[in-house]
Amino acid sequence: MAHAHAHGHSVKRYTGLMDWITTVDHKKIGILYLLAGAFFFGIGGIEAILIRIQLIKPMNDFVSAQVFNELITMHGTTMIFLGVMPIIFALMNAIIPLQIGARDVAFPFLNSLGFWTFLFGGLLLNLSWIMGGAPDAGWTAYTPLSSTEYSTTRGVDFYTIGLQIAGLGTLIGGINFLVTIITMRAPGMSFMRMPMFTWTAFITSAMILFAFPAITVGLVLLSFDRLLGANFFDVASGGNPVLWQHIFWIFGHPEVYILILPAFGIISEVIPTFSRKRLFGYSSMVFATILIAFLGFMVWAHHMFTTGLGPVANALFSIATMLIAVPTGIKIFNWLFTMWGGQIRFTSANLFAIGFVPTFVMGGVTGVMLASAPADFQFHDTYFVVAHFHYVIVGGLVFGLFSGLHYWWPKMFGRILDERLGKWTFWTFAIGFHLTFFVQHFLGLLGMQRRIVSYLPNQHFDTLNLISTIGAFLMGVGVILFLVNVVLTTKKPAGVANDPWEDGRTLEWSIPSPPPEYNFKQIPLVRGIDAFWKEKMAGNKGMTPAEPVGPIHMPSPSILPFVMSVGLFIAGLGFMFSTEDFSNAFMSLIFNKYIVMIVGLVITFAAMVARSLYDDHGYHIEVEELEEEGKA
Amino acid sequence: MTANQQSNEVTVKHRHRPEGPEKHILVFIFSIILTAIAFAAVMAGGVNATFAVILLLVMAVLQVFVQMGYWMHLKDKGHLMPILFMIGGFFVASTAIVMALFWVWW
Repeated sequence: MAHAHAHGHSVKRYTGLMDWITTVDHKKIGILYLLAGAFFFGIGGIEAILIRIQLIKPMNDFVSAQVFNELITMHGTTMIFLGVMPIIFALMNAIIPLQIGARDVAFPFLNSLGFWTFLFGGLLLNLSWIMGGAPDAGWTAYTPLSSTEYSTTRGVDFYTIGLQIAGLGTLIGGINFLVTIITMRAPGMSFMRMPMFTWTAFITSAMILFAFPAITVGLVLLSFDRLLGANFFDVASGGNPVLWQHIFWIFGHPEVYILILPAFGIISEVIPTFSRKRLFGYSSMVFATILIAFLGFMVWAHHMFTTGLGPVANALFSIATMLIAVPTGIKIFNWLFTMWGGQIRFTSANLFAIGFVPTFVMGGVTGVMLASAPADFQFHDTYFVVAHFHYVIVGGLVFGLFSGLHYWWPKMFGRILDERLGKWTFWTFAIGFHLTFFVQHFLGLLGMQRRIVSYLPNQHFDTLNLISTIGAFLMGVGVILFLVNVVLTTKKPAGVANDPWEDGRTLEWSIPSPPPEYNFKQIPLVRGIDAFWKEKMAGNKGMTPAEPVGPIHMPSPSILPFVMSVGLFIAGLGFMFSTEDFSNAFMSLIFNKYIVMIVGLVITFAAMVARSLYDDHGYHIEVEELEEEGKA
Repeated sequence: MTANQQSNEVTVKHRHRPEGPEKHILVFIFSIILTAIAFAAVMAGGVNATFAVILLLVMAVLQVFVQMGYWMHLKDKGHLMPILFMIGGFFVASTAIVMALFWVWW
């Protein structure tokens, strides 16, 4: 019956801005994630440059100590939660349904809701800059530093509430991809035939599902401490600040694997494509990914070696941490063996992928060094740690994201990025990266503390810091070159081939670039790993369809996710300022009496009720329309 | 026309022989018995406190398995993924609980 109903119903199609606000198409949501992620990545990058300018010379006074604290806190928080995670989600949205031969994600409406809650959470967090001061307790927000006693501005409230709302979006996205990958794979695509990027997205989503509730609980407890006078982390009232560290890192360590696993997936797609060889050791790659995820939940206390957990705990967490080097090493060797004997093409995407391998190994080696508890007492809270995690996050993840963006740009936008500019991007970014962070290992070993606003001259810090700052500017140049490339490419006419790299192996290369809104006119039949490559090698022009041409059921666009997120944004602001002393009587009334908060929640719940009561069956693209598009 | 064929296919695929209510009624009675035993152990008095706690825990674990297996259909075919993810969730949640109970407030 639902079918008959939906066939008769013609859908309202929006254009322009409304189209983007109401879209539930995974490809458009992917582009939205990319735009928002790039915006926050830019903000985080500017913060990084400001940090490096402050540290360019001894006893510099470019920014005050308070602003410096805000800069380092917001740089870390913005980059991790609002910069790279959305860009990962951008690639997952744009590519995963195509790679598994699906027409969309499992829950298109939720997909849109996830994006808008992330965006409004991120905007709320960044509003702190113009509303009384940004968070200043570090991205880890350790108590008691983040308590009202030591952090008196609203900054940490923006952190707890903003991340809470943004985290909702991430959790929604993670669940969506889990269900999509479990239930919507094309006929014939068993789990062990899934492309590696899909595998890593799957495992990453599972980790999001398990790790994000921990930070949610932590943020709720912290905001209750700060706004409602609770005392979970207040020693004087029987609370325990170490509890925060545990909760944060039970989330925080899986989080860094949530970040790096998709990069592993991208590298595992790009290297085989540009080596014209199948991925070496596919099943060991899958096994290693699962093992990394599993171990990732059992190593959190290695961030807390100096907290005083005792030698037994330190020893156990040391060993567990070192174990992770084993599956990671498997991956590294698999990539090397994939390249071995291949016909390697040094495209920009592949340059980033190949550059990733040694860079990530360097980050991994310092990781094993840090895993040793006795040594960690020396490294802890020095620039050695800063160097380590930038090697894995920038040298690993950001290299991976650049690789993936160059690789999938033609699929997402129908235009290929300029190769010459792409190579310039790689070399400036890579050289800038190593200049910035390689020397920081030695700064750490020489005793320069992490998060320090200034340092005295003649401690052997001066030259190394200068080099580091020069490197940071070079990285900035690399990013700007990439943006120039994007702008120039956008001006070119669209319409590259289905398989612009000519060696595409997976399903996304079997359909037009960019794909039509329904992705696959007929769902393909998958006959092996690297499904498209297999058909090409068998001499077939395209995929064998698994179904006759029929009307395609599509979800309707909806403004409700946007409205729900706006409501949460307003409620968050209302809750945050409920304890503020206002001189204005009106402001005092609407905030201190929770009126703003209630209005926001009412907006969100009204949108949820509307969604529940009104059954939207979506619409169909009829066979005739499909045929017409085929001719055009 | 094609749409009708499609929806027919869907119904055929999802048609399975219903189990009938007998098993569920039995399971329901079993659940109530479990609850009654737990209740009685506390209400009756005279039961050793340590024994009562252990009994309650055993009843609770049995109850969880009954609820999950029958009412949440985890015993049925095609539920491997939900089971896997529940075990995963259990693993992570218990890590956090053990951390808080025996490590932070030991």
